[in-house]
Amino acid sequence: MFALKVARRYLTSNPAQTVLLVTGVALGVTVFIFITALIEGLAVRLTDEVTANSAHVSLEPATRLAEILPGDPAVRTEGVALVSTFQRRQIRAWRSTAELITRQPGISALSPQISGNAFLVKGEAVQPVSVTGLEPEGLDAITPITPNLVAGQGALGADGLLIGTQLAEDLGLTAGQPVLLRTDRGGERLLTVRGVFKTGLQSLDSRVAFLSLQTARPLFDLPEGVTNIEIKLDDPGRAREVADFLAGATGLRATPWQDKNLNLEDALEAQGRTGTLIQIFSLISIIIGVASALVLSAYRRRSEVGIMRAFGISGGFIVAVFMLQGLLIGLAGGLLGCVSGYGLCSFLASLTDAEGNAPLPIAPERGGYVAVLILTTIGAVLASAFPARSASRIDPLEAIQQ
Amino acid sequence: MSRVLQARGIVMTFRNGDEETEVLRGVDVELATGELVALVGASGSGKSTLLSILGLLLRPTAGEIEIAGQRVEGMSERARAAFRNQRLGFVFQFHHLLPDFTAMENVAFPAAAPAGGITPDMRRRALSLLDRVGLADRADFPATRLSGGQKQRVAIARALMNKPDLIIADEPTGNLDLRSAGQVLDLMGEVNREDGGTFLICTHDEHVAARCDRRIQLVDGRVQPQDEGSDHPD
Repeated sequence: MFALKVARRYLTSNPAQTVLLVTGVALGVTVFIFITALIEGLAVRLTDEVTANSAHVSLEPATRLAEILPGDPAVRTEGVALVSTFQRRQIRAWRSTAELITRQPGISALSPQISGNAFLVKGEAVQPVSVTGLEPEGLDAITPITPNLVAGQGALGADGLLIGTQLAEDLGLTAGQPVLLRTDRGGERLLTVRGVFKTGLQSLDSRVAFLSLQTARPLFDLPEGVTNIEIKLDDPGRAREVADFLAGATGLRATPWQDKNLNLEDALEAQGRTGTLIQIFSLISIIIGVASALVLSAYRRRSEVGIMRAFGISGGFIVAVFMLQGLLIGLAGGLLGCVSGYGLCSFLASLTDAEGNAPLPIAPERGGYVAVLILTTIGAVLASAFPARSASRIDPLEAIQQ
Repeated sequence: MSRVLQARGIVMTFRNGDEETEVLRGVDVELATGELVALVGASGSGKSTLLSILGLLLRPTAGEIEIAGQRVEGMSERARAAFRNQRLGFVFQFHHLLPDFTAMENVAFPAAAPAGGITPDMRRRALSLLDRVGLADRADFPATRLSGGQKQRVAIARALMNKPDLIIADEPTGNLDLRSAGQVLDLMGEVNREDGGTFLICTHDEHVAARCDRRIQLVDGRVQPQDEGSDHPD
């Protein structure tokens, strides 16, 4: 393509200007990638921190709604939610539900649980606790307890109990000591503190006690079912989609983690919008830079373009020459910016503080490289449209007489 | 001898606000194939305007133009550009070579741009034209490394690239020293004699005009009959 050859020749005829221009574009792309990787990394870190000790999707029995039978359309009908006080809300068919869930792609862990409220009584000391009965082999499926044990061990056994450090301190308990558990269902049993954990989350360390599902059944008067099924996903970002699917497939109420952390979701969205604005400004600066350089180039080459027009070279050819310059600048700057952006992000991600944590929650692999390359190239081509059009309209006579 | 160019009743009026200036007042021009014709006249006589009109770079206010058997005044801009590319060759006072290209690429450019590239045939023709103008050994030289005379010879080769019916030259020696000007005139004479190229050369230079087959003298926007005009332009 001859227009491409001419465009390339024009760019290489003034290497200093071209290098400056490509560097400018690359800088804009680097900023874009840095912001994208930072915002994505921050979102990943916050999500990880929020969901590290909790489920991505929670399944609970749905609120039963009365069916409205079709009748006279002229008659106004109203529906009400019916909350039964005569029937325990539980998931009876939890085993088949669990099987259905594990067959779905992207499920990393699953934990059927019996959750309820109780008191721990040690002598005169009484503390309210949130009790979670779970399968002992799935102890760490949702909340990593075993790695956070500071005393004792994680084997729950038939009468074992795991509690947090704050709760242990409040009750004056240590691993191996007995404690009385009294549930809101009237169940009562003397259990042994098998281990004490410290997750760093006060809500867990001071209010939650874990015991085995079998131990929890009589205490909460649930011989068959479970109260909830907690699910972890490979990608927490898919929680809403998975929850919608599971709600439809099981008829249970499926709650994604975002719905339990609406403030965080709002914050992440606001952060995303800020990042988008910075990305847009980066692209605008790239477009303005390319456009102004090509406007100058078109002006400098008025005479040459005029001569081409005098020879009868079409306006389309002139447009192609200038737009191809934009394309080449966009591609070169975009690629260079991707390389430098990845390098910068990788370097920043490799930095660690004294505790071994990365000071910037940057995710180099989430820099939006393909998107920025495409956007930059399209932007540079669009930026070249105006100078290309004005060059194609140069009056040959005027250019020759200059 | 067949006719390459016939222009009848060419009128050109420029308007500046309410003021109108009539630069050409009914000019008739006719060129036969293989003629070497000088267009002479004092500054302001309208010869550059006439040259631009005959080169399809400017539309006249009135008049008819036929080049190589085709009426051109009703053509669209796109058609005029294609016509210029295929049927006309241009040599300007300043060579106007493209500085980022070699001599061979400059010569081939008018053919290569519409075709999308320099084909082997185009390359062969460009090299043979450079040989014709005595610059075969400079084919791969960047245009910027050629002397003034060499550049103008490359410009003539470029004008011949698409085998035009008519070559329009505007003061082709006006920017050259005597020796280079002589070489360029010799070259145009050779192309005219040997290849039958038809030239319309706009010039102030009596030496250039004297080497042409005939001259068309413009005086105050009109062609002066040859027996009434002076042999010496102002």
